[in-house]
Amino acid sequence: MFKKLSDNKIKESIERNNGGYFNLHSLRELGIFIVFLVILAVLMILSPNAFARPTNLINILKQASINGILAAGMTFVILSGGIDLSVGSTVALTGVIAASFAHPGEYPLFVPIILAAGAGSFIGFLNGLGVAYGNIPSFIVTLGSMTIVRGLALIASRGQPVFNLSKSFEHIAGGFIFEYIPHLVVFFVCVAGIAGFILTKTVFGRHVYAVGGNETAAKVSGVNVGYIKVAVYTIAGFLAGIAGLLLASRIVSGNPTAGAGYELDAIAAVIIGGVSMSGGAGKWYGTVIGALIIAVIGNGLDILGVSSYFQLIIKGSIIIVAVLLDMKGKGKQ
Amino acid sequence: MKNANGKNIDYKEVLSKLGPLLALVLVSIALSLGTEQFMTVGNITNIMRQASINSLIAAGMMMVILTGGIDLSVGSITAFAACVMGVMIKNGIMNPVLLIVSGFGAGTFVGYINGILLTKLRLPHPFISTIGTRNIFRGLALLITAASPISGFPKAVQYPGTGDIFLGIPVSFLIVIVMYIGIHIFLNNTALGRHIYAVGGNKEAARLSGLNVNKILIIVYAICGFMCAFAALVMVGRLNTAFPLAGSTADMDAIASCIIGGVSFLGGKGTIWGTLIGSLLITVLRNGLNLIGASADMQLVVIGLVIIVAVYVDVLRASAEAKSKRLAAKK
Repeated sequence: MFKKLSDNKIKESIERNNGGYFNLHSLRELGIFIVFLVILAVLMILSPNAFARPTNLINILKQASINGILAAGMTFVILSGGIDLSVGSTVALTGVIAASFAHPGEYPLFVPIILAAGAGSFIGFLNGLGVAYGNIPSFIVTLGSMTIVRGLALIASRGQPVFNLSKSFEHIAGGFIFEYIPHLVVFFVCVAGIAGFILTKTVFGRHVYAVGGNETAAKVSGVNVGYIKVAVYTIAGFLAGIAGLLLASRIVSGNPTAGAGYELDAIAAVIIGGVSMSGGAGKWYGTVIGALIIAVIGNGLDILGVSSYFQLIIKGSIIIVAVLLDMKGKGKQ
Repeated sequence: MKNANGKNIDYKEVLSKLGPLLALVLVSIALSLGTEQFMTVGNITNIMRQASINSLIAAGMMMVILTGGIDLSVGSITAFAACVMGVMIKNGIMNPVLLIVSGFGAGTFVGYINGILLTKLRLPHPFISTIGTRNIFRGLALLITAASPISGFPKAVQYPGTGDIFLGIPVSFLIVIVMYIGIHIFLNNTALGRHIYAVGGNKEAARLSGLNVNKILIIVYAICGFMCAFAALVMVGRLNTAFPLAGSTADMDAIASCIIGGVSFLGGKGTIWGTLIGSLLITVLRNGLNLIGASADMQLVVIGLVIIVAVYVDVLRASAEAKSKRLAAKK
């Protein structure tokens, strides 16, 4: 009976994921896309002057970008059956590191970029080692590293934001392509596209699904589970480093208290996007839609004048409802 | 397991149980040699006061972890319960009984909600639902207080947090001892207490033996909320203020206390006295780092490392146990 169960799971996992790079036939993702359109329509009707303005819509895309990049990394981790709570702190630390090396006329621009990406990847790598080879539950490892990395960010910056950054550093996130498209959005689109390609078109991507769907089955089929796990956390850390760099560039300072709660938004985007909390099922473009939904809701609530405390409650509820839908969907199968 | 290999295992078990106590003694000796202020009556009293809030939360967390779960919302529950009391006095209700009852009611109720979410709505591992409720309860605390601290509690409400009994022993620490004895009796000598261990040891086996697992889980999360409300009472007494942002690191400290104290992450194993030692160790560490002059930031790093190392030791212990079981089975 046990064998049959795992066979079914593999089959189900294959069925849910063989849609390829982009496939809106899948009801789940189509449903989320419709929800997104409905929210958008409602907000446009409620606030045609403030919300529907082109500048605000571009602003929403900008707001979605940093979370979307984090959520892309989180997608890998959750697909593999884990979770990463440390990305918010990693954003803060890598932002501080990037800003410290971005004072005008000190280092060439590639130095802060490489350091931020490298530091983020290294943190993710350590998380991965703890999960894959220490056999420690992922949420404990990353809860611990969330605290440690936050402490490191505060120590590295002596608790003060790092100011006085070069114009070229500010340009990384602040610039525009063709005068209208913000760099941030370009980064987001690139990251999402590459993540989608890796997940759907490469052996590595299929292995991530396999590990999350049924770890034992993946192992006996010859997948190097430890390697895959270390890799997904490293990817999440790397993207958190990129997000930290972009945030520092966007707010023109490296703030050691930045990014608190970002892990929540990223998890919410992934789950809303239909990626299963238990791993092995979900689509990369679901995450993109999830990130857009979160940005639209946040922006809309701001414009409607809802207090940030109430938004905290709404965000928490959204996560629970999204997980609930996930469980309901599974119950039917 | 205990009787499988006779006395040898018992000896090892005693040693592993004494490990945290040994660590506590060693850290205390090191600190009293390192700084003169550590081994003073004033500082010891201070440690007892500091430990009591965390110990109360850790006791609730311990029961949750015993069932194989986790509650990441404890800090928010504590803040929420404190703020409910704060809002009461803001609205002119100064009756201490009413205040305390409402605080406990609020804490227990939101704990109950955690339990309902986990069981009735069949969410997966509770860390995801309690991450959600962590935000919801924190948002509620900020919302009802309009994000500003409320002070001016009546003397009777402050007593558990500020009072001393004799020899400078704080009332709050006495509360901890009494509650811990109560929990010890509850866990070891009542049917429900044993059921909590049973659910954590093997949920499926517990269900097949006729236990109402869902009911037990809901009760455990409600008790956790109740203990958080107790911590909130001590907290508002000690500071004479209800802070909506209080307890933001409470979950980390409580988890660390349990794990250091030998409560197994996999559920079903652990004692309340281990949790007390873990809680004291965390407090002594924090206190010592303060005395040495390490920044609050450094404390974050240390506590985070301590948690990961403690869980890793737990994992190693579990795998060693599984191995010795396998070997015994082969023989």
